[in-house]
Amino acid sequence: MTWLAIAGSALVTYLIRAFAFRVALPSPLPRRVARYLDALPAAIIAALAGPAVLVPNGSPTRGPELAAAIVVIAAVGWRRNLLAGVLAGVAVVALLRLVLPA
Amino acid sequence: MFPQRSALVEGWPVLTTVLVVGIPFGIVARQSGLSPAEIVAMSVFVFAGASQFAMVQLFKDGAAWPVIVVTVLLINLRHLLMAAALRPYFAHVSIARRLAAAFVLTDEAFAMAIGWFRRGRTELAYYATFAVALYILWNAATVIGMLLGPSIGEPRRFGVDFAITATFIAIVVLGVRRRADAIVAVTAALIATALAYLGVSIVAVVTAGALAPLLVLLIRDEPAT
Repeated sequence: MTWLAIAGSALVTYLIRAFAFRVALPSPLPRRVARYLDALPAAIIAALAGPAVLVPNGSPTRGPELAAAIVVIAAVGWRRNLLAGVLAGVAVVALLRLVLPA
Repeated sequence: MFPQRSALVEGWPVLTTVLVVGIPFGIVARQSGLSPAEIVAMSVFVFAGASQFAMVQLFKDGAAWPVIVVTVLLINLRHLLMAAALRPYFAHVSIARRLAAAFVLTDEAFAMAIGWFRRGRTELAYYATFAVALYILWNAATVIGMLLGPSIGEPRRFGVDFAITATFIAIVVLGVRRRADAIVAVTAALIATALAYLGVSIVAVVTAGALAPLLVLLIRDEPAT
């Protein structure tokens, strides 16, 4: 299962990367297609992040995850630095879980 | 200056970032219960940062393998555009070299190479040096994180389980360049949350993510900032 997922992911990732190196795409791509492809990765990643923030483990957040998400957005928006945002978010979650009764 | 040297001199800030993202990847992957062999295989063969974090999240959610493969496909589809933009500069080299160049294509290598070519330079050694350095560092960082993982203690208590989510949020924030991008990301996150809350499968959640960008076709476009 895990190995099939890894092998399949490796294969599709490489095929995407190799395809346009090998075959000429219509140049430039239709603007709408280019715009869709441009917005796609952030949307998929946001779709994975949303539930993890608001309904972690299937039930609504008690607050720590939401507060930490806001801190990450603020920190990354301000510093444009991925690591600073992630560290701030992890610290906020750890702190709030400690303070809030389980 | 030799193109190889330029690639490392100009690229070191980006390469450092790769190291500081790769180590957390190794840590969260290990703490999610993946085996060292599986973690190393992801960095060696998939070699795509955001998708690897997504894979760890999906493994934790118990997603079926085809769902994981399709999600990775959607996240990496953008490389089609990047490879198409690089292709003219590689037109004169052998197919084997082009296919090798494709294996180490990343957002970072694309950005550095386009910057180089726009200055009128044509040496492909710049791309090759930077892309291979990134590949080596990403894999080294993965192994370091993987070895550190078990020593970090109970993940939930220290918020380490939130590191994947925080990384996702950071990637999205860094990727928002237009108002439309923000609208799409928030829409995708909210629809996915509603679906997850209703208990639908992860397939529906990923589908919501894939459909949300259709909104950009409705929003009046503005130039990227």
